[in-house]
Amino acid sequence: MEGLKVWRLSSSIARPSNLRQLFGLGTSSGLVRCLDNGAAAANATNTRFPSRNRRASTSTSTSTNTSDREAVRAIRLKKVEQLRSKGTEPYGYKWDRSHSAKELQEIYKDLNNGEELDSESHHVSIAGRIVARRAFGKLAFLTLRDDSGTIQLYCEKERLLNDQFEQLKTLVDIGDILGASGSIKRTEKGELSVKVDSFSILTKSLLPLPDKFHGLTDIDKRYRQRYVDMIANPEVADIFRKRAKIMREIRKTVESRGFVEVETPVLQGAAGGAEARPFVTYHNSLGRDLYLRIATELHLKRMLVGGFEKVYEIGRIFRNEGISTRHNPEFTTIEMYEAYSDYQSMMDMAEEIVTQCALEVNGKLTIDYQGTEIQLQRPWRRETMHNLVKEVTGVDFTELEDDLKVAKDVVLKAVGLGLDSKDKSSIEACPSLGHLLNEVFEIFVEPKLLQPTFVLDYPIEISPLAKPHRRHAGLTERFELFICGRELANAFTELTDPLDQRARLEEQVRQHNKKRAEAVSVTDGTGEKKNIDEDSMYEVTLDDDFLTALEYGMPPASGMGLGIDRLVMLLTDSASIRDVIAFPVLKISQ
Amino acid sequence: MDSFVSEPRPASYETLSNNVLKRERRARERQVREEEKKKVTTNKIPENQRQQVANDDTMDPTQFLSNRIKSLALLKESGVNPYPHKFDISMSITEFIDKYRSLHVGEHVENTEISLAGRILNKRSSSSKLYFYDLHGNGAKIQVMADARHSDMDENEFCKYHSGVKRGDIVGICGFPGKSQRGELSIFPRSLVVLTPCLHMLPRHAITSNSDEAQSKKKTRNHSWTPGITRNPETYILRDQETRYRQRYLDLMLNSEVQKIFRTRAKIISYSRDFLDNLGFIEVETPAMTMTVGGAAARPFITHHNELDMKLYMRISPELYLKKLVVGGLDRVYEIGKVFRNEGMNLTHLPEFTMFEFYMAYADYNDLMDIIEKLLSGMVKELTGSHKIKYHGNGFDSEPVEIDFTPPFRRIDLIEEIESRANLSIPKDLSSETANKFLLEACEKFDVKCPAPHTTTRLLDKLVGHFLEETCINPTFIINHPEIMSPLAKWHRSKPGLTERFELFVNKRELCNAYTELNDPQVQRQRFAEQLKDRQLGDDEAMVLDESFCSCLEYGLPPTAGLGMGIDRLAMLLTDSPNVKEVILFPAMKPQD
Repeated sequence: MEGLKVWRLSSSIARPSNLRQLFGLGTSSGLVRCLDNGAAAANATNTRFPSRNRRASTSTSTSTNTSDREAVRAIRLKKVEQLRSKGTEPYGYKWDRSHSAKELQEIYKDLNNGEELDSESHHVSIAGRIVARRAFGKLAFLTLRDDSGTIQLYCEKERLLNDQFEQLKTLVDIGDILGASGSIKRTEKGELSVKVDSFSILTKSLLPLPDKFHGLTDIDKRYRQRYVDMIANPEVADIFRKRAKIMREIRKTVESRGFVEVETPVLQGAAGGAEARPFVTYHNSLGRDLYLRIATELHLKRMLVGGFEKVYEIGRIFRNEGISTRHNPEFTTIEMYEAYSDYQSMMDMAEEIVTQCALEVNGKLTIDYQGTEIQLQRPWRRETMHNLVKEVTGVDFTELEDDLKVAKDVVLKAVGLGLDSKDKSSIEACPSLGHLLNEVFEIFVEPKLLQPTFVLDYPIEISPLAKPHRRHAGLTERFELFICGRELANAFTELTDPLDQRARLEEQVRQHNKKRAEAVSVTDGTGEKKNIDEDSMYEVTLDDDFLTALEYGMPPASGMGLGIDRLVMLLTDSASIRDVIAFPVLKISQ
Repeated sequence: MDSFVSEPRPASYETLSNNVLKRERRARERQVREEEKKKVTTNKIPENQRQQVANDDTMDPTQFLSNRIKSLALLKESGVNPYPHKFDISMSITEFIDKYRSLHVGEHVENTEISLAGRILNKRSSSSKLYFYDLHGNGAKIQVMADARHSDMDENEFCKYHSGVKRGDIVGICGFPGKSQRGELSIFPRSLVVLTPCLHMLPRHAITSNSDEAQSKKKTRNHSWTPGITRNPETYILRDQETRYRQRYLDLMLNSEVQKIFRTRAKIISYSRDFLDNLGFIEVETPAMTMTVGGAAARPFITHHNELDMKLYMRISPELYLKKLVVGGLDRVYEIGKVFRNEGMNLTHLPEFTMFEFYMAYADYNDLMDIIEKLLSGMVKELTGSHKIKYHGNGFDSEPVEIDFTPPFRRIDLIEEIESRANLSIPKDLSSETANKFLLEACEKFDVKCPAPHTTTRLLDKLVGHFLEETCINPTFIINHPEIMSPLAKWHRSKPGLTERFELFVNKRELCNAYTELNDPQVQRQRFAEQLKDRQLGDDEAMVLDESFCSCLEYGLPPTAGLGMGIDRLAMLLTDSPNVKEVILFPAMKPQD
């Protein structure tokens, strides 16, 4: 690990302003960092992204230097030629690995300092990217990193064939991908190493790697060139490994309960199952507009009508809405539906899924999310929306009369002081008591729900696909799961009555069209306020086929949608959804 | 915050325990019975019950619908919810069959109480006190023998209630298991509740039989379908293809094999996942909407993000993004996901389909041939019990072919094989004018049609189709494609002008496409430049340069091999489906007139 230490040391000392100094420091202390690696550090950013220049003043990175980067590239391209002229292909075809770095660290963890194992049975072969190197007269140390971890390559001149040692010194750069084989040795300093017999340049890298701490402070670039981020910060790759584990664990959990995975269409004639602005596209040969799905709900329910009793789909959902640390236009959800059950059983399912994933990824149920300790031990709090609102605001909605105006006055009187004007106007805009309750809930209660909480029994006005509550008029059998103030899951006892469903969807379309008409008239009136409520300018149509399916009969059922990106954020302590999506949508750079 | 959390739960809200639910259900059932009783006494028309069963069959569907809506309205008016919230089932129909299939003929287990639920797809009555139903759920079926003597209801109530139960209704049953005198495994209900009424008349089989006996005879005739053997959709209850695809729920409901098709599809996917997971691969997700198009040659769907005011394309392949992740240090990645191509629809193509792609660092195309052989032969064996499957490769009208997945699969070299089959000697420099002329003449000579533009790539592709693909019934690797046909594949280590690529063909169709990945950024740029030439000649399937991908390669992609496989096509083979719409739940359809 010597090499890596140097690399780290240099990074921790260096500040953007003295990277040149660092390079000098390196040589004076006997390190041989290739010229282009010095440049690499200095040149951690590049001009490929014009935005960099504009932001240089606020960024911690150095200003860019295209010529350095291009110089590095030119030097390395020359090395590519040199290698080829010697009959060595700088882009190899394959490499047989006997071990990963981590496996070696595991197997030989008890090897003593200075000990060597030279017999045939300890001959190993590994491959990975060179992330650090130091070369002396007849000795060189390289740090090689693979998928699993790092290991040192211990290279002695006399052990290598012909001019391989010279090649190593002159033609191998940090960033190159090498295959190496040799025996095992732990250095006097305690670094487990492969004592190299032979190596092969498998891929010659042309561009310098950014320095670990400085190169990728530009967040925008980290997302745009995720692969560079991953090379420079191995813990970034870990998030995606954990994401894969979480997906696997979710599947395992639901499949062990007999759920079958299905795939429903992304491109649809009408986008339903949620209230959101859809993406529109055009199919040339059908000659028609198609919408990208905004939910999988309506198709999965058709599966229940068709006789499947437990189905799920993990898939991409698309919503044509703004981007933020919590929103990406495409995101991944699991939606699941179970015949003959109700929302109570879905609460158990949500607990089961989240705790299983937490155990798989973190090994424990007490986790830290952005400085808050979250207790995932079951059972989680289950509380009605009415009670939560009463608890936090003192307003008891069960005691309010049906008069919306009076209700708003009561609410504003109770909580008005703490309101900003935006919240105030959204409260005033509520078209029904149900909306009002939900608005108050979102403003005052949501942010306080840090520990896992099932919020139960949503108003019917905002739950068009949920079954009316079996005991409380005006409410539905619906819950949302909140953790850290964020909605993680949404579930209902599903509405199975086709007549009720039709009425509710028709009402939804009517409301939407009303809003749209208002927006249009505002636009017409002033001619300027084009942006006003553009949110509602899309069309909402009735999914008649879904209603027909319900008429054929859907068994009593419950269903749940759970946001996988948000679950991954929670379990990997990631602040932004962009940290858990490999290639998030970004604004056009410029 | 802590006090907020630790505050005891208000007593006003109680979570619904099972007992409460049961109580509720009983109360509801009681209520239903009372309501029914009321109606019986007020309406006093119990005698035409038997007729009603017959009437339902002949009734006009619109009349049927409006009758049912009326009766629902009546129920709701009287305070009964015709759509109960929940029904506790103690086991699934499949579990019931497994547990009680070994009962003797005539044996009843009256001291057990079991609750089941499902959809009624057949109703027969031999008297007003005895009704037979076929109860279907999750792909299995049992008989319900509703005898007034076993029911909690009195005889009048029983007659009334059962005469109102229609074919298509979803019901919940509490009762005991037994076998009928005819040996049919049955549940004998003590109570039966309609959970969801079916408002429409269900389509019926052309030949309907009402007796218990005829039913069991039919069952022995219809062997149950399993993957690898042939199907015959002509025998389905619902045969109209348009209806089957447009209203898949009816297809699934009425044609019992169809559920199995989709269960098989799920197994194909989970087998593939497990296989790669066991080799240390991780599953990743790359964007479905991107700012550039790449990784394949196809026309993309275009959409627009409003707030960002940005044009976005639906992906036509995840390839370039997956390679970026390998550059980032994830050595073994895969993705199973939707891919979109804005092209015409036919028996094998739909605008969205499911692609399975994996990338493996330090491996080459030879390794992938071994891996995919293992994956496919293992999967076929696991799903069908054998390596050989029967497939109506030429449509249901023709004889099925046998396809043998026993490894190793045949491997044929693309150029060599065309040369030997056509007795040609194709010029080595395929990018030359001479080669183009030579191939054009060859196509004319063998009457191989190739519409313009006559790029060398297109001409070769037609010759491959004519001479090679036709011979590939059993899985066959066609290997070593020319560079000009394969802009993302690495040049062959020993054969100039060719690449290390293979396509796996089964039943004359491409199932997989794989190569040792091109990882030399300079060569990659050149290849894109050559593609541009073809594009300028009018080949709009030629690939477009992706600068962000080339610059990614400059950071160094390790030697890597990658493979793409069409999940839908594999599902077609294993479910004897000559039409891709058979294996996609809700396929894109032309708008109805």
